[in-house]
Amino acid sequence: MRNRVREQRTQRGLSQADLAAALGVSRQTVISIESGRYLPSLPLAFTIARFFNLPVDKMFDPEDEEAGR
Amino acid sequence: MMSFIRPRWRKPAGVILAGAVFAAAWGIRGGPHWSLWVTLFGIVALTRALWLYLLSGDDSDAGALAGSLADERQKSLSQRSWAVSGRFAMTAAFIGLTVAVAAKASWWWPFLAILAVTGVGYLLGIAVYQAQSAD
Repeated sequence: MRNRVREQRTQRGLSQADLAAALGVSRQTVISIESGRYLPSLPLAFTIARFFNLPVDKMFDPEDEEAGR
Repeated sequence: MMSFIRPRWRKPAGVILAGAVFAAAWGIRGGPHWSLWVTLFGIVALTRALWLYLLSGDDSDAGALAGSLADERQKSLSQRSWAVSGRFAMTAAFIGLTVAVAAKASWWWPFLAILAVTGVGYLLGIAVYQAQSAD
């Protein structure tokens, strides 16, 4: 599943540690989500989408599985 | 009870408690060198507790788990690791039981007990976490 976490984070000039602190997760989890190695839970996916002010289906795209790797 | 203890101290406190109980068992057992064993297990428990406390300050998955401050991915990681641990325990108990039976040994029953406990634990997990039926 492709996600736009890295893209949105870098656009806003945030570090992985900044985003982790804002989301209440560890830096390692942000790294895992960005690299596509970890699929966040639905609540965390919504938290991420709300943080970037985007609909959740814009943040996480199940149709684009290969592109996310 | 654990919620009254600061997260970083929870696992070290558990280790110290377990060490104290185990050391007390050696104290009750007695024997010529009981104080030596009590001291030894006390030192081991305190060393492990200190190691866990120091590890909890580390910016890593292991550090977050040691400090009881794991997020959802780290908790999932821990659960999967415990599942592997349970499988290892069950496999080792089965091998031990099989060897003990083949060797006509008298020490077969602890393996059977571990096998039974891990099996019951698995069934309990299914019962607790399975999807509830619809109304």
